[in-house]
Amino acid sequence: MFDVIVRNGLVVDGSGEAGFRGDVAVKNGLIAAVGTVSGSARREIDAGGRVVAPGFIDPHTHFDVQLLWDGAARPALEHGVTCIVPGNCSLSLAPLKAADRPKVVGMFQQIEEMPPEAFTQAFDWTWEDFAGYRDAIARNLSINVAPLVGHSVIRLWVMGEAAQQRTATPDEVAAMQDVLRECLKAGAVGLSTSFVDLDEHGRPVPSRFADFPELDALSAVLGEFGRMLQCVPEFYDVDITIARIDQLSELSLKHGIPTTFSPVFDNTSTPDNAPRILARVEEQFARGARVWPQMQTRPIDISFSLLRPSLFFARLPRWVRVLRQPLEARLHALNDPETVAKMVEDLGADGGQRMMGGLIVRGGDAAPAQMVGRALGEIAAERGQVPAQALIDISLEHGLDVAFLAADMGHEATDRIGPMLAHPLVHIGASDGGAHIASFSTYGDTGYLFSEFVRKSGGLSLEQAVRKITAETADIWGLEGRGRLTPGHAADIVIFDPDTIDRGEERPVFDMPGEGMRYVRDARGIDTVLVNGEVAYTAGAYTEARSGVVCT
Amino acid sequence: MDLTIQRRFVTPMAGESVQDIAARALPGEPLDSAVDQIRSWNLHIFAMRKPAGLILGSDVVFVEPPRR
Repeated sequence: MFDVIVRNGLVVDGSGEAGFRGDVAVKNGLIAAVGTVSGSARREIDAGGRVVAPGFIDPHTHFDVQLLWDGAARPALEHGVTCIVPGNCSLSLAPLKAADRPKVVGMFQQIEEMPPEAFTQAFDWTWEDFAGYRDAIARNLSINVAPLVGHSVIRLWVMGEAAQQRTATPDEVAAMQDVLRECLKAGAVGLSTSFVDLDEHGRPVPSRFADFPELDALSAVLGEFGRMLQCVPEFYDVDITIARIDQLSELSLKHGIPTTFSPVFDNTSTPDNAPRILARVEEQFARGARVWPQMQTRPIDISFSLLRPSLFFARLPRWVRVLRQPLEARLHALNDPETVAKMVEDLGADGGQRMMGGLIVRGGDAAPAQMVGRALGEIAAERGQVPAQALIDISLEHGLDVAFLAADMGHEATDRIGPMLAHPLVHIGASDGGAHIASFSTYGDTGYLFSEFVRKSGGLSLEQAVRKITAETADIWGLEGRGRLTPGHAADIVIFDPDTIDRGEERPVFDMPGEGMRYVRDARGIDTVLVNGEVAYTAGAYTEARSGVVCT
Repeated sequence: MDLTIQRRFVTPMAGESVQDIAARALPGEPLDSAVDQIRSWNLHIFAMRKPAGLILGSDVVFVEPPRR
């Protein structure tokens, strides 16, 4: 007697081989049989007309805090994602001394656009070390979690304030090695670092103060465990990115570790950049290095209102300062003609036409219907204003509750992206799941992979796409026993309709602690998701199953 | 497989100033000229960063101009 048999599906097992009609049987949380399965089960699922595939693995997320109140990392799981990697970009919630919590919360707010209430209203912060964090999330998981530990927090743990002031002494480096070793023993699947990020005060995060010998020493510890080094390079500069690829490759070769960097964006205005990066990756792999570039499937867009700070204004420090203030002070500033004049001036001689003219008014509770769907430049011209001034005035006229969409900001040329995603050395990832929640939806990239690059463009076959986000990801990260529908592997299974799998429209919801807003996309075409053999999501609803684990 | 030639860079050693890096990376150049060149090839450090010129341990410091 099996626990579950999924019958009559098109089994796409993660290997990349052609799918076949058959059954998948599950017992004790593991795949027990694949093929034509006789016998019975406590639960049988008819997958006729559907694909049966390994659960998807998302290697670049920031669900670190959400997991403390939402063990399903909603809506990631309903998109077929059964394993997530949080702790990217040098930030994790352990190891972290209580006194340093405000610093790291500030970094999460600044870098990942997480609201402060997410850290204060939904859970009791009881741990300091990595094992404590692991145990805190493990109590309520519906999804599997393979957590990274952040370089910045390890530096803070060992060096305190000096972590953001200087390079480390040999003793401090040795102490960091010990801390990293403990984290890896406690279940971390690797170390993340960042070469680009700033904290909420505009200071480089601690990992950026580390010299190369420090990273080398930490990579030596990763080598003891064969674990991953993840980094976010200066992705906006191709020469620096290539230099980072070379550094990562040296570490990979010296210590025998896998490395990965993200994101890699394609932009038709700089069409040579992504190909140059991939060419360097090919050269380094040919030397034996493992340096996996992560590329997201979705185009870049940002939604924002003046109700809260946004990534959109990252290159406008004055706007950031104004929008970071509490509401009353922000309104005061936006009503101050002198301040507004300077803000408009910051946009340059065209008053923001180039940066803001193409913004689309997307709605919001107070958005006037006649503006929705129209370009800000056009509306501004009607008002006799430059776009930057119009953006501020329209927002003020409607209580700041008018949302704007900056669409097509890059990475949108399907005919270019498809072949890159299909490249054998490109690691599909970089979703940023759970981050930037008020700027864009970081959920549904897997659905978009199938709708845009399998069905629409044919850039990848169904089997190829499944393999890229299942077995290949598990292999890259060393997640043994996951990513394949093979007897003995974990029964992480997604059942989906290949003709309809997709991401839904982006929409705002208010389900964050403190009724905080985030953008989400619902799943389309996903029937059922099993995590370690338990049905965690089916027929459009989450179940009570809590079968997720911290997996290594 | 040989690597194609890419833009050469160094990484800062503990406590190094731009003068130290310039002297190390461009030993044949007069120091003032070497510093000016290092600055001009590394706008990500010497122009776009706040405070400009703050050298971080993790920095990539180019020691030649862009190749294309």
